[in-house]
Amino acid sequence: MTGPARYQNRIEILQGTLDLLILQTLARGGQHGHGISLAIRARSGVLSVETGSLYPALHRLEKKGWLDSEWKISENNQRAKYYSLTKAGRKRLTAEKSRWRLLVQAVTGVLDPA
Amino acid sequence: MDALRFVFRRFFKRRQLGRELNDELASHIATETSLRVQEGESPEAARQAALRQFGNVGLVAEVTRDQWGSTWFEQALNDIRYASRAFARTPLFSSIVVITLALGIGSSTTIFSLLNGILLHALPFPESNRLVMLWELTPETRKPNVVNLGNFVAWRERNHSFESMAAFVSLPMNLLSDQGSQQVPGLAVTADFFSTLGTVPLLGRTFRPGEYWTDEPRDVVLSYGAWQHLFGGRADVIGKKISVNVSHREIIGVMPPGFGLPNNKAELYVPQGIVINEGRNYSVIARLRLGVNPGAAKAEMATLAANTAREKVNMDSGWSATAVPLLDQAVGSIRPILLMIFAVVGLVLLLACANVANLLMMRASGRAREISVRLALGASRHRIFCQLMIESLLLALLGGLLGAGLGGIALHLLKSWLPESLRIPRLSEVTLNLPVLLYSATVSVLSALIFGLVPALQSLRRNVTEDLHESTRSVTSGREVRRALVVTEIALALVLISAAGLMVRSLLRLMTVDPGFRAESVLTVRMMLLPVQNEEYRADAVREMLDRIRALPGVVADGSIGILPMEGTNSGTSYYRADRPEPTPNARPGGDVSIITPGYFEAMRIPMIQGRAFNAQDRVGSPLVAILNQSAARMLFPGEDAVGKRVKVQWTNNDVVEVVGIAADIRHSDVSTPPDPCLFMPNDQQPFPFSALVVRTGGDPAQLAKAIREQIRLVDADQGISKIEEMQQMVSDSIARPRLEAAVLTLFGVIALGLASIGLYGLVAFSVAQRVREIGIRVALGASRAGVFRMILGDGLRLTLIGGIVGLAVIIGLARFLHSLLFEIQPLDPLTLISGICLLTSVSLLACYVPARRATKADPAAVLREE
Repeated sequence: MTGPARYQNRIEILQGTLDLLILQTLARGGQHGHGISLAIRARSGVLSVETGSLYPALHRLEKKGWLDSEWKISENNQRAKYYSLTKAGRKRLTAEKSRWRLLVQAVTGVLDPA
Repeated sequence: MDALRFVFRRFFKRRQLGRELNDELASHIATETSLRVQEGESPEAARQAALRQFGNVGLVAEVTRDQWGSTWFEQALNDIRYASRAFARTPLFSSIVVITLALGIGSSTTIFSLLNGILLHALPFPESNRLVMLWELTPETRKPNVVNLGNFVAWRERNHSFESMAAFVSLPMNLLSDQGSQQVPGLAVTADFFSTLGTVPLLGRTFRPGEYWTDEPRDVVLSYGAWQHLFGGRADVIGKKISVNVSHREIIGVMPPGFGLPNNKAELYVPQGIVINEGRNYSVIARLRLGVNPGAAKAEMATLAANTAREKVNMDSGWSATAVPLLDQAVGSIRPILLMIFAVVGLVLLLACANVANLLMMRASGRAREISVRLALGASRHRIFCQLMIESLLLALLGGLLGAGLGGIALHLLKSWLPESLRIPRLSEVTLNLPVLLYSATVSVLSALIFGLVPALQSLRRNVTEDLHESTRSVTSGREVRRALVVTEIALALVLISAAGLMVRSLLRLMTVDPGFRAESVLTVRMMLLPVQNEEYRADAVREMLDRIRALPGVVADGSIGILPMEGTNSGTSYYRADRPEPTPNARPGGDVSIITPGYFEAMRIPMIQGRAFNAQDRVGSPLVAILNQSAARMLFPGEDAVGKRVKVQWTNNDVVEVVGIAADIRHSDVSTPPDPCLFMPNDQQPFPFSALVVRTGGDPAQLAKAIREQIRLVDADQGISKIEEMQQMVSDSIARPRLEAAVLTLFGVIALGLASIGLYGLVAFSVAQRVREIGIRVALGASRAGVFRMILGDGLRLTLIGGIVGLAVIIGLARFLHSLLFEIQPLDPLTLISGICLLTSVSLLACYVPARRATKADPAAVLREE
């Protein structure tokens, strides 16, 4: 897996994992879109979230009832739309997490045979 | 729930949501900018960088909006727009479908409005489901019979089922007003009548419940119609007097519009005292106690009657009694025909649906590629299914809308056109009201499901790659379903035309039945004779009227009878031989009794078989005489000569009379009922309170009506007339119902046959169009054109054969029901069934012939060149 040099510190998010990342980020408290993308980048060090993926994902998750949203004033005095996990969202997060762990285990098993 | 709220909010606040999204994205950029400024960039540079980093704002907004999706409602609106455009492009197809559906739904709506108004809708009395009619039941035959007042009193005192009961009798009443004398229908009712029905008067009061009249008060309660007619609806009528049957009565109340018993509409209500005698003359209405069901009341009536039968052996031995819910009583006779017509229009609607389904499937075959392309481009099968169903629904609703309109018009025509002689109860209560419109809407949606579901499911069962493959020309999917639909149509059409054929044959039989008298050129004049002190005067008045009328130019003969043929009978009177020991009460023979004047048989052209007719010498003081009809003579004197024998008749005075003649049998009650035994007695010896003059004329009887009226007025100016009618009309009215049944079935049978043949034609024509290449190849390979013709024709006729067999099976299944509607014709009448099958086969041949001809014209060279 060798890509061009300029992408070395920016890895595309695997399809399907963005939802998990958003849910996990919001599990620590409500946040706006910009904050979520900052948090994911900071926490992972390498993952960058395109706005063209982030906002559709946020709206999709809200439609599914996993997120709630409200307008608040942010720390640097901006009006911003804050997302937070709903009860259903919290459940979903647990389910997604265990699925992800299973996947990682499986892929690792294939890559590094014991 | 959240998702639903989201969907809801999104639909109504779409624009607001758009603004919110823009704000959200702007706040993202603003936040990034302010972060960059905090890190020391210049505001301008920071903003540029933030925008760059964000990417294409419009694109992000758009992909985000896509996530909202569209609601089912928005999709449906889209589908409707799409479908409307599609229909507008194929106006012929759309109008055929909509008109077919409109006919089906319209006829169904019309008949349902009748069904709803007549059979289902409650009667206009408070808690009308608690109202029942009480009848005595005749010994052995157990036919409902009017009631003896003594029994009525016994029931009223002993029962536990009823809150109250009242007796009434329907009488024409002679009303004298500024407009001259006229006889209007009236009811003489016992005191509890109005309180039993529970309707409060519009003005004044009604009779007080519980009153026992020994001397009837001279009161009268007016119907709304009489109030309008006599007083123009003036409010100050209470206390005014009107002349009823030449005595003055005080108006004490006016009933609201629409009040009246369903089969006993009356203009005037007068009090009826309870005078107990031997006669059975009264109808009884009763209100059930709360919680008592009609079944329990019926059982109690049987018990009560068993008690009176033990107590009054002479009067009641063998008799029983029963209770019938008022609504059943009112509509019982019309129910079978209404249900039959309803079933028929239901079948026609199914036929219409089958045709539309067929049309849609053919259209779907043409659209196969469109649907395949959409599937290939990623439309979900669910979406396409919804869209096809919405198209069907749209067609059905358009058809339903048009159908409801047609139904309204048809109903209006029907109400003015249905002959009064059908005596359809409650016809005035029939309207196109909300329940009826709901019914139409439901039927429309259901038919959309029926005709839309199969084609829609068929369309989805496609193999996309195969359809899009260029050489796949003929799409044969759905073929079996379409064939099955056409077979069903043919079967239903055969059922309907056969039923129509049976009805028409039955009607023809009825029309050619010889009633035993000559009705043509006879005018009848019915009246209740004014009550007088001396009974004999009634007979004198009739004699004088007849003498005067006989002197009119154009009158050939005249006479009078108590109750006219086709107008009912004085049935259930006992008469038996006086030269034998008196039979026990429930072994007494009997039959009809008719009170006539000497000229009656001559005027009606009823031949005397033996002995003589009555003459002027048969009057008060001379020996009492009677004439028997052939049936009565056979019943009383089998194998003997009846003339000169003596008979005891349980009539007014229980006289013994001498038989002086035997008259030919006639069909008295109606043309379909064989003659009953009948005993005739002269009006001069047994004066009867009603008279129907029968006047035989040399020309058009209607022209004499005015002159006859004038002669009656000259005899007694106060004497009104209840009805003048031609005898011929009465005979033809008596078969109005079978005529209507035959007409309705023929109409719908023809529609069904038309629909089925269109269906068959469409199927065969379509299959020829699709097989044109195959046929071309066959011809190229040496098949003869005649062979191709036979092949196509045979294909269509095979369907007809299968449909015919299914139809016959249905008719066999319906035989018992059909039997009850037919006169002297068996439901499996071979002539009718064979004619029906022949008709069906000819129409099918015609429907297949045109496309089969076209198939033989296929030019193999031209067809194969197209490849």
